[in-house]
Amino acid sequence: MNPDYDKRLEAEISRELKALPELAAPATLVNRVMTTIEQRARVPWYRRSWQMWPVALQAAALVVLLALFGGLCLAGWELSQARATTLALYKAGEWFSGLGVIINTFGVLANAVLLAVEKLGTGFIVACLVAVALGYALCVGLGTVYFRLALAKQRELNL
Amino acid sequence: MTNAQQFETFMRNYQNMVFSTAMRLLANQTEAEDVAQEVFLKAFERFDQLHDSPTVGGWLKTVATNLSLNHLSRYRSRWSFFSELSVSNLEETGENELEFPASESVEEELDKLERRALVGQALQKLPAAQRVPLVLYHLEGLAYEEIAEKLGVSLGKVKTDIFRGREALRKNLKLKLEAA
Repeated sequence: MNPDYDKRLEAEISRELKALPELAAPATLVNRVMTTIEQRARVPWYRRSWQMWPVALQAAALVVLLALFGGLCLAGWELSQARATTLALYKAGEWFSGLGVIINTFGVLANAVLLAVEKLGTGFIVACLVAVALGYALCVGLGTVYFRLALAKQRELNL
Repeated sequence: MTNAQQFETFMRNYQNMVFSTAMRLLANQTEAEDVAQEVFLKAFERFDQLHDSPTVGGWLKTVATNLSLNHLSRYRSRWSFFSELSVSNLEETGENELEFPASESVEEELDKLERRALVGQALQKLPAAQRVPLVLYHLEGLAYEEIAEKLGVSLGKVKTDIFRGREALRKNLKLKLEAA
């Protein structure tokens, strides 16, 4: 790069770009914005996002949520201390014991897949990975060719 | 005057500036209009603080720039890949060149409006990867480092893209640089 050339180019392009006038906004822009504002104003406060609520309601909502959170924490603590809870958890464990069978089945299936991979050997796995990579490269290549052809066609149409 | 009327007047004063900022970055009228709408909706939410602020123009420009960049970043992976292809195609064929001799004698004969329209067209025809940093540097007055940070790319890439953008503009506009 020639620093002197770069400086002159920068100055010239800067002069050209800064001489550009403001573009006229579409005539529809003001109406679009005003219509959206009117539509939003008609939406009741409880259907707007929390940030758009009146400040007093935001504060009230915050207090209620904090109270709820505190209440839930307290209730959780009290429940964990109760003897009835321990019994209830034991019963729930019995009801869900069927899940253990399903988890075991999945474990056996996963072991079978691992065993099959070991038997097939590293070569097979590498070949599969190469095939996937080739397929990906082929897709990218075809996409690129299609894009170039489509672009060329579009230019022809524009001429 | 009601708040809505005041805002409408405010919008009419700034709409061209906001739209131009978005349009220079996005080079797409529909998208620029969408961004301009979003900018004014944000401005409406803060209109009480904004309407008599001396920095409102700067605020609107910054929001328009950031929203335009956000818009572009949503599609960055797509456009950065294809923009490179577009550049190579244009460079190969030279079909994007505008007939625009800029020697001083000819320049005097050309209507200034026509000249600016051609510059605007040439800018919009640049791929986004070059146009965006070029606009941020020359029109928004951002430093290379700020552009790199905003676009999430390296400083070297910003410099290269801006240089390529300038070169493409020079070629397209057939600008002749004066001898030093």
